[in-house]
Amino acid sequence: MQYKWFVLPAIGVIVLVLGFMMFGGLGDNLIYYLTPTEAVDQHVDFPDGERFRLGGLVTEGTVETTSGGVTFIVTDGDRSITVVHTGAPPQLFRENIGVVVEGAWVGDRFESDTLIINHDEEYRSEEDGTYVPPTGTSG
Amino acid sequence: MRERSYQALSLMAIAAIAVGFTVATTVPPERVQGEFAKIMFVHVPSAWLAFLAFGVTMIGGAAWLIRKTPIWDRVAAASAEVGVFYTALALMTGMIWGYPVWGTFWDWSDARMMSTAIMFFVYVGYLALRRSIPDPETRARRSAILGIVAFVQVPLVYFSVTLFRTLHQGTTVVRPDAPIDPEFLRALMINLAAFTVVYAAFMTWRTRLARLEDELEETEAVADFEIAGSGITAPNLEEAPDHV
Repeated sequence: MQYKWFVLPAIGVIVLVLGFMMFGGLGDNLIYYLTPTEAVDQHVDFPDGERFRLGGLVTEGTVETTSGGVTFIVTDGDRSITVVHTGAPPQLFRENIGVVVEGAWVGDRFESDTLIINHDEEYRSEEDGTYVPPTGTSG
Repeated sequence: MRERSYQALSLMAIAAIAVGFTVATTVPPERVQGEFAKIMFVHVPSAWLAFLAFGVTMIGGAAWLIRKTPIWDRVAAASAEVGVFYTALALMTGMIWGYPVWGTFWDWSDARMMSTAIMFFVYVGYLALRRSIPDPETRARRSAILGIVAFVQVPLVYFSVTLFRTLHQGTTVVRPDAPIDPEFLRALMINLAAFTVVYAAFMTWRTRLARLEDELEETEAVADFEIAGSGITAPNLEEAPDHV
């Protein structure tokens, strides 16, 4: 009896949480971010003001500091999108690094208010060769 | 095992951690992350040892169901406890690393983070389940079943970064072109070995403690029985009170 009162609710909660993760509110987010190519292709699904996440690589030579934050071009090697970010970027923010920005389209630009670094799985010492940035399209 | 052996194993675990820590500090800064990359030497072995620990819990549970010997139940229980510890360590070091590198402690929609958190709570539930059942055999059987079923989460957590597009980075070591420099890999493997020794020490101590607990439980059960019996005395009919 003691056991049933404990385990049945526990199993119920686990099933609910897993179900929520797979099919509920997080469903869209299992595609954690859209690549620039996907974002451009699905532009009609995300009208101005409809928030989504965009992930890609910060294009070299496009980073400009503005009064409210930073602008840069994010790319997946195929399509590129200009990102206008409001707020201070994380300390590792730089050219050729993977980023995920959260915000919405404003015309052809993407206005974001959240910027996180999508760091890759490479571990290289500083004295070692050239840094090959991730493409931003892999899982 | 004699007391000496237990102490020797503990000393080995402490020495292994000291060696692992020393090696980790000698690794050069990583090109992009700098010194932050060093958290990997705690984070990655913790996560792997958690997987191993939950695997042992599954095996212990299965072995108990087949053999019905108490030692397997104790091994399963001890390993789940150590696994919860390592999972917590992996989650915490991940958050500490994530804040400076990603710019966030936690992401609610990241498949790796969410699946690990769920795995953590399910095994905390496993430990709670054990405490909720007083009868040893019922406890062993039910937790064996949960221990086996709960293991499905381990491959899910491991492959979450391959199956889904996540903030968490993908696999580094277990892939053909392992994009990691040899000094990082070497330090990682040494720390993996050190964490494994610590796992062995935890397991040895925890299963011993579980055995002592079981023995105490049995002694108490016998003691309870004696007290219960001694409380009842037969009425003395021979010596009737004088005043009747």
